[in-house]
Amino acid sequence: MDKPSEHNFVELLEKHQNIVHKVCRLYTNNYDAHNDLFQEITIQLWKAFPKFRGDSKFTTWMYRVGLNTAITLYRKSKRRIKTQEFDAIQFKISAEEYDSTEEEQLKLMYQAVHQLNDIEKALVFLYLEDKDYREISETLGISEVNARVKMNRVKKKLKTILNP
Amino acid sequence: MDELELLKKDWQKNNNTFEKKSSSDLYAMLHKKSSSLVKKLFYISIAELIFLISVNVLPFVFSKSYRQHFNKVYNDSLLNQSIEVLSYVVIILFVILLFRSYKSITVVDDTKKLMKSILRTRKIVKYYVLYNLTFIVILVPYFMYKAIKTNSSEIDLEHLTNFQILKLIGGIFLFTLLFAGVVWFIYNLIYGIILRRLNRNYKELKKMEV
Repeated sequence: MDKPSEHNFVELLEKHQNIVHKVCRLYTNNYDAHNDLFQEITIQLWKAFPKFRGDSKFTTWMYRVGLNTAITLYRKSKRRIKTQEFDAIQFKISAEEYDSTEEEQLKLMYQAVHQLNDIEKALVFLYLEDKDYREISETLGISEVNARVKMNRVKKKLKTILNP
Repeated sequence: MDELELLKKDWQKNNNTFEKKSSSDLYAMLHKKSSSLVKKLFYISIAELIFLISVNVLPFVFSKSYRQHFNKVYNDSLLNQSIEVLSYVVIILFVILLFRSYKSITVVDDTKKLMKSILRTRKIVKYYVLYNLTFIVILVPYFMYKAIKTNSSEIDLEHLTNFQILKLIGGIFLFTLLFAGVVWFIYNLIYGIILRRLNRNYKELKKMEV
């Protein structure tokens, strides 16, 4: 085992672990599932680390591996997720900082995002992370135009979920 | 969409609210076993391969009486030898294709490419199973006919009418077809379940390109 490389990897991951946490937040709804996915993404990142040549940013590379693991490689465990559990996790975080209308709006938005399919969630995730359409298209393997069109559709879909 | 902008603000604000993993937590995770879909599919493929090879080869290798009986019934035919050679060539070809395909699966590809390579790899195994089933459907009736002919003490082929022979061959063929059909159905059902999510997501990405 190449120790300096392992050390280097853990140092980078520790610094940027929020990216992995955020992917987990979007694709899981409870504490155990969050940790399961976190672990699987970490393993996949580590396995792919020798291929990381540094020609892209480590964080850009993390987004790709993280999303690929969540969408494609990760098999959800039998611990079925309940939306209520998800809400509880999300809103412990922000409830104190917002007024009740905003809080309610956010709660509904998180619930709506959670109803999207895996690919739509990926689009929303990259959008929330302020990624441009070039990066979104490169991560998912679709054209920039299609990423834009799909994102608009997702926005409409969210609107429909919020105002049925 | 105002709500989405609100969500974005909240999302970015909540950067430091996660339960931080320490470096020792992360070191420990590196040595845990992956439970990824690719790994599972890889093990299933290997199991399928071992199973099919075992069914074809092991009785011949380990049972002297089986070997003797087999040679007695089928030894004279060029067809048998060709089938044997073909089987080994196909197995070797399949193993090479399978390993090359598995090696080409990489999590650093874009999502669509990753899904495509997983599905392509599955297709290779699928074709191998299909090849085996086709072989069964074609060859089992033939081998059974030859076996019956050799053990003519049990069924006296000499005294069967043409219609009875036709019925016998038809019966064997139908039974084989039914058996292969059931195996194929179960096979597809299992993979349909395992790959349901992947197929759905791949279709979703493909739909975007239309």
